[in-house]
This record gives sequence, structure tokens and C-alpha cells, in this order.
Amino acid sequence: MTEEDNIRTIRTACSQHCGIDACGILAHVKGDRVVKLEPADFPNKIDNRICLRGLSMLDVTYHPDRLKFPMKRVGERGEGKFERISWDEALDTIAGKLKDIAAQHGWKSIGWVLGGPGAGTTKFGAYLRLASLTQSTRVSAWGYGDAGIPCGSRVIFGSQFPYMYLFGEFWQRKFPELLLIWGTNPAEAMPLQTMRKVLDAKEAGAQVIVIDPRFTVTASKADEHLALFPGTDSALALGLMNVIFQKGLHDVDFIRKETNGSFLVRIDTGKFLLGEDIGVKPPKSNMIWDEASNSTAKVKRSTLKTASITGTYDVNGIECKPAFQMLMELAKEYPPEKAAEITGVSADLITKLGEKIGVSKKVVFFTYMGVSRTYHGDICLRGLATVASVTGNVSTSFSSGNIPAVLNWDPFLKAVPGEPSFHRMAILNLYDAVINEKPYPIKALWFAFINFVNQCVDYNKIVNEFYPKLDFIVQTELFMTPSARYADIVLPVCSLLEFSDFVPHPYPYVQLQQKIIEPLYESRSDVNIVAGLAEKLGFGDYFKGGEEGLIDLILDNPTLKGEGATRERLKKGAFLLRALPEGGNFPLRVPTPSKKIEIYADWLSEEGQALPVYLPPIEAPFAKKDAKYPLSYIQGHSRFRTHSSFANVESLLKLNPEPVVDINPIDAQERNISTGDTVTVFNDRARTTLKARVSGTVRPGVVDIMQGWWADQFEEGGVNHLTHDIKNPVQDKIYEPNMNMNDVAVDVIKKEEVK
Amino acid sequence: MSKRLGMVIDQERCIGCDACTVACKLENSTTEGWIQVETLNSPQKDVPSGTPPDLWLEFLPKLCNHCSDPPCVEACPNNAIIKTGDGPVILDRENCDGCQACMEACPYNVIQFNQQKGIAEKCNFCNHRLEQGLEPFCLICCEGQAIFFGDSNDPNSVVSRKIAERETFQLKLDAGTGPSVYYCKMKPRRRL
Repeated sequence: MTEEDNIRTIRTACSQHCGIDACGILAHVKGDRVVKLEPADFPNKIDNRICLRGLSMLDVTYHPDRLKFPMKRVGERGEGKFERISWDEALDTIAGKLKDIAAQHGWKSIGWVLGGPGAGTTKFGAYLRLASLTQSTRVSAWGYGDAGIPCGSRVIFGSQFPYMYLFGEFWQRKFPELLLIWGTNPAEAMPLQTMRKVLDAKEAGAQVIVIDPRFTVTASKADEHLALFPGTDSALALGLMNVIFQKGLHDVDFIRKETNGSFLVRIDTGKFLLGEDIGVKPPKSNMIWDEASNSTAKVKRSTLKTASITGTYDVNGIECKPAFQMLMELAKEYPPEKAAEITGVSADLITKLGEKIGVSKKVVFFTYMGVSRTYHGDICLRGLATVASVTGNVSTSFSSGNIPAVLNWDPFLKAVPGEPSFHRMAILNLYDAVINEKPYPIKALWFAFINFVNQCVDYNKIVNEFYPKLDFIVQTELFMTPSARYADIVLPVCSLLEFSDFVPHPYPYVQLQQKIIEPLYESRSDVNIVAGLAEKLGFGDYFKGGEEGLIDLILDNPTLKGEGATRERLKKGAFLLRALPEGGNFPLRVPTPSKKIEIYADWLSEEGQALPVYLPPIEAPFAKKDAKYPLSYIQGHSRFRTHSSFANVESLLKLNPEPVVDINPIDAQERNISTGDTVTVFNDRARTTLKARVSGTVRPGVVDIMQGWWADQFEEGGVNHLTHDIKNPVQDKIYEPNMNMNDVAVDVIKKEEVK
Repeated sequence: MSKRLGMVIDQERCIGCDACTVACKLENSTTEGWIQVETLNSPQKDVPSGTPPDLWLEFLPKLCNHCSDPPCVEACPNNAIIKTGDGPVILDRENCDGCQACMEACPYNVIQFNQQKGIAEKCNFCNHRLEQGLEPFCLICCEGQAIFFGDSNDPNSVVSRKIAERETFQLKLDAGTGPSVYYCKMKPRRRL
């Protein structure tokens, strides 16, 4: 802290839900008011950063519409009529209500819907800890758009995220010859931690290719842009592999050593040939065909060197093929012309890109959540990760580089060792639990850092079928969002300048979000709210020390506390995680059961998804003849918001005043639509009315409304009035089902033509 | 040789995010921001020009050019605008009576009229920060790290190096005012 002209400066970190950018912020404080924010120093100043939203944080903190005190609903749900109550009354009411519901239906029927905590940790952890203590239901929010990547990654890499395998080294500024940015727009969604590096990589000589239905700002920086139809990514991946295999540009050595491409698959069952099938012990061992001895052998480091990855073999009368042979046969069905027909990308470009990937020394496949928000989004991720794997373009940053920050989540995931903890429910499964009481009834929900009805699929279903079934709804919020209006009790939370938290980003740093000023009005931090409720429920002891106590708990891990990243140390600035010596990256030993990259997942063979097959999106009109709704509707991310945060900030609204639907000139002309016309986007579920913007941003056949606008900012409808809650059961089997916001069919007409 | 402070904005790195505009508003308590990002050759902001496969989004942040021969200085009847020795053209808000003569004289249309205060305002290269040895605020808040600042008379400065290395352009050179803001052009695409 320094003083100059009575201005104090305090370093904090932005934990907004863009997540990993996690800008360090230096707050200038005069008296009890923050008067200015600027980028704070990182140990390496090249990492100093802030974005236009972080710069607008004062407009959030001092927004006239901040919720100022606890309130209880006095009108109908959604009507927006509330009455001020005291914190004591609020917490007593909530505790009493929860106890009543628990007495009748069990604590399991009470759910905590924890949306996007962003880069914050303990505000999320506090709820987990209370859910664990009460053995109630924690509703996992991965499925509101972010479960597709984990589903795909769990299959191929065995990890929640594929990032360190696909682009860990890129994050460490080791730039490739070819950089593929697949289905993501870091220029707007992750400008600092990612887009800056894209620009650096390009300056360092990388050729940049963007694969995206939209001509995004990221695409505008690319050397080539492949505008595919949403959800056809796995067909593109197969087309690329067709070219790569045809020309023999795959990396045989890497496939043998690092993937399960040599594992023999039984043609009769689609399962791996196991030792027990042919009387070899141990019974569950995987088998390969050894080219040296011309016989089967167990998978071992030594045998893999001479394992066959192609051909057909008769093993004791069982017809078998190496998994890679199966992949080759699948890819053979997707010559560039066929892939072009499905994806809308020219065969010429597919051929050239396949060749380029094959001959480049190092290719980075950068991707994020957008690619996975179609019905088979998990396979889209597997598809592109398989292209990376068969060309040897997978590596891990964490065998060299800086150590990753590992947090001590135990006290939050399991508050009392040896006792049962919370039940876990996927957010897309919550619809059924509330509406149909399956697999068990949910009667009360607490929503924290989530604008549920605005950001989750099928707005009308939530309003008409979901909310009415709930006995009790609590929301913590900064503003009266479309979701807060449906709560029975609304609790005012602090802006991020008013409470402390631990921020384990951006890699390779960790930071402290420091409380700069006292909470405004009667607002409280989520941690303090949970602590207050826990007190009423008899669990007060578990939240002693408030925010700082929980920060100390989460830091209690050898990679943090052991390295010197204590709360006291973090007050001084960002902490650089220790660098490991440059070392051998291989073998990777990914956390799959086989410790290999699983390009073939035999446990999904019944579903026909053992390989990254192309399965058309669920609603996509381009895959159907005579579709009732001929346009594919997707939701891009805007630099003016992080999801639905900042949608009500005046300074940003000045730059970006209202929602628009982007429509391609070809589709607009067919419908006689011009820029500025008021149009209605519609399907069987809903109508959304807003201004049209005719632009080459979207490819023909696709329309886009940037997500995050609040429903009340539309003339009619909203972003998620049009979306559906159709569940992919395979994703449910793998991990949890994803909401498929980018897999929606609509049509658009001028408003005056609406009947 | 005396200093000639100037700015280089790299279109290759500008992602059109408007953080510079927001930063300027915060730093200078302005209503609009004295730096504004335009989308080139497009009827609307953020909408690409051209037709596939030749679409372009080229962003052009516009601000005071801090001309070596600034017509605004000449035009101001109150001497509220001065050209400083090392380059920045400073508009002193205290001495402005709002006659708008400077706005008419400026070929770049980058002097704004603050309706609330009834005075003209423009970018001063964050002169108050330069005096403290700090860089302009838009530069340190630039998301794409696209803005560079320094002495264009010093061949080793970052701006001189950028001007030497890259294909650059300046706005309305034919106006003859000697602008100090340079733009590095987008590089041609290396197609597959």
C-alpha cells in the first residue's frame, strides 16, 4: 500500500467469470471510495493486463441499481415485487424453510446451484462445504455449456480438460509452426491469457488457421478461416485424417508409443481383445500384434515398439484389428469431397489443411468450450484431439515449465472426513428432478453467481414448468436479474472490490483478490452469507475466520503453502509458481485406464462411439432436407459481457447498446431483411424479437445472437427462449450432459410479417 | 536533436476491443473517450468488409495526431492549445471557452465537444502521466498490446523500430500538418 495525495493503492485480482484471464488490478482508493483501477504489476510485466470489463468494474460497484438489502418476495414469482427485510429475518426464514423441507423430503431435496464462480475459489468452496455438511445436493454447473469438453477429454485423455495436452506449451510461449484455433474466439472471450499469445505466435512466424462458423475478430487475424456449419467438427476432423492417412503423414512411432492405436479390437464385439479371450494372464491385459514375432503380445513398453497399427489378424479364430486400423477405415469414408459436403468447407481447403498439419513440425490445436455446445460436442473435441494425436502433436506442459497450482479442495468436497458428503447432480438433469421428481425430488434451490433462467436452456420451460414446482428459491445477486425476480428471498452480494478470495490464475501465477473497501449498503460476500446460514443450522464452527479462514484452508497444499504462497505473501502481489527444469515430456502417461491416449474407447462401442464418428447435430437444419426451421442458431460471446454480467453497465451499453441478430447477406436477402430492421427469430419453442444486423460475420445458414443480454433487454423473448433441454445420454454416461446452445434450428422474419 | 514523441498502433495486434476508449474515459474523466476505434471500410462497427473468402476486420483507433504543425493551436483564440517542445499538443480545459474553432480547424475530426462542460476536449497523450515518467493510459490498458509510444527522433526507440520494420501509414498526410501517430498495416494473409 502506498500513499500519495491521500490516494491509497491496493492490489487485487479480477475474478470475473471469464475465468483464466484473471487480471491483476491496482485499485486507487480515496477515503472509502475506489476512484480508479489500473493494471497491476506481475513479476513479468509482459503479463500486466486489464480488459474493458475490468476497467468498468467501478460502474458495477457504484451502479445505482445494486441490490442494497435482503428482500422477501411479496408479489407473484417473477412479478418483481419485494419487501426489505433484515439479515436476521432473511437467514432465520431460510434456515426455517430449509429445515422444514428437509424434514419432509430429506436434505437431498435441497440443491445449491453454483454457476460461474469465475476465478474465485472460496466463494464457491463455502457452498460446497455447507452442502457437504448438510448432505444436500450440489448441482454441478459444468453442463450449462461446459460439459462437452470434459466428456470428450475424459474419453481420449482421461482428464477433465484436454488443454495441457493440446496447448500447454503454447501457454508457456513455445510457439508452433501452425496454430489451429478451433471453435473458439479468444479475441473476445480470452483476450489476455490467450489472444495475446496468438498474436505473439503469429509475430513469431506461426501460420494461424481459425475454424469457426463465424468470421470472428480472431478469424480476422488468421491466415485462413474455415467457416464450417456448427456441430460438424468431427466430420472435418475425419476429412483431415483422410488426407493425412492417404498421404502417409501420420506419426507411426507416436501412435504406437503414446496412443492405444495398436491395441487389438475384436471385430465381433467392438471390444478390446483381452488376455482372458485367448488364455493369457493377467486376464484383463490388452493385446497387440507384434510385427517382430508375428504373434500377439501383451501391451508393454517394449512390445509397443514393434506393435502393428494396421492390418487384420486372426487370433485363435477371433478376427481382430488394431484400433488405428479401425480409425483409418472410418476416415476412409470421409474423403475431402464428402467432408466438404457436410461441413460447408471446400474440399480444397480440407486437403490443404490436412497436408499442412501432416508436414508441419509442430502444430498446436487450440480449442475451448464453444466447439462442444452441440449435441455431439464431446465427439467434436475427440475428433480434433484425435487429429492432434495421430500426428504426434500432443504434449504436456507440466513435465517441464511451471508447476500447476493444486488447491486443497478436501475440506470443501468432504467437510467431515469419514462422513458422507453432498449428492452431485448435473444441471441439465436438474430439470427432470424438479419437474418430474426424477431421479429424486428437488424442492428448494439456492442460486449463487448464476443468472439461471437467462443463461440456461429453454426459458419458457423454466418459467412455466420448473419454478412453479419449487417450494422455495433463494438467490444471491448484485442486481435484480431476470432470475432474481423469481426468488422468494433475494440476498445482496458484494462486488469483487468488497471481499477477499483466492484466485489460482492466470497460469503460471496465483493471486489474492483483496477486499478494497467495506461492503456497500448491506451487501455481504457469499462466504459470509454461507457462514451466517451455517450458524443458524448449527455448523458455524466450520466457517470460523470468514473469507480469510477459507482462503487459508484452500491454500493448505504443498504446491502452494509449501512453495511460500501464503495469504500474507499474496497480499504483496502475484506469486510465480516454481519452474521445473526442462525435461523429457514422453511418455506422457495420460490419466486414462490404459495410460495411453485413447483414440479408441471400447466402452462406448455399444453406443457406436468407440471412434470419433461424425453424428449430425440434433436440430441442425443443414443436415436435414426440407427442415421446418432452415437456419442454425448459435450464441457467440461478446467482449462487452462475461456471460450475463456487465449487461446493465452504462459505459459498456454506450459502446454496444442493444442485442442484434447477425444474419448473412444471402439469408437476409431471401427474407427481405436489412440492417436495423426489427425481426423475429422463432421456432416451435419461442419468438425472440430484436434488431437485425446483416453481416458477413456469420456464414450462410447460420444466425447468431451474442449471449448474455438479459431477457428484459429484448423487445420479446431472449437468447435462451429458443434453446432446448434435449439431453445426450452418452454424455450422461461419461460425465454429465451438456446444454447445447449452439445446436438449435430457427427461422427469421421481419417483425411486421409475424402472424 | 529534440524529442518528438509519437505513437505507433499496430493493426495486426489491435483486436478492436475498445479498452483504450474505456481506459481514456476513466483516466481523463471524459464522457466519450478521446480515442475511438473505427472499423475500416465497413458501414458499421465490428462488421467485416469484403466477401468470403476475402473478409476483413481492420480496426483503426483514432485519436489526436499531435501534429508537428497543429492547425488547432493556430485556430484557438484563447491560446488554450499549445504545442510542447517534445511533441504533445495539449488542450488546457481550464482556458477553453468552447468556441469550437479548433474543431473546425482539425483535419482529423478528433477534437470532441463536451456538451456537459461546454468545452472542447482531446487527447493530450496523457501528458500528466508523461510528466511522472509513465506511459499513456490507453497503452497500458491495451488488450492486444498494439500501442507503442516513444521518441520518433531516436532511432532506437520502439516507435522508430516499428516504423522501420513494418509497412506503416499515417492519416491525411496531404493535410500537411505532420501527424505523430503511425499505423502498422495488417500483414497479407499466408493462405494454405
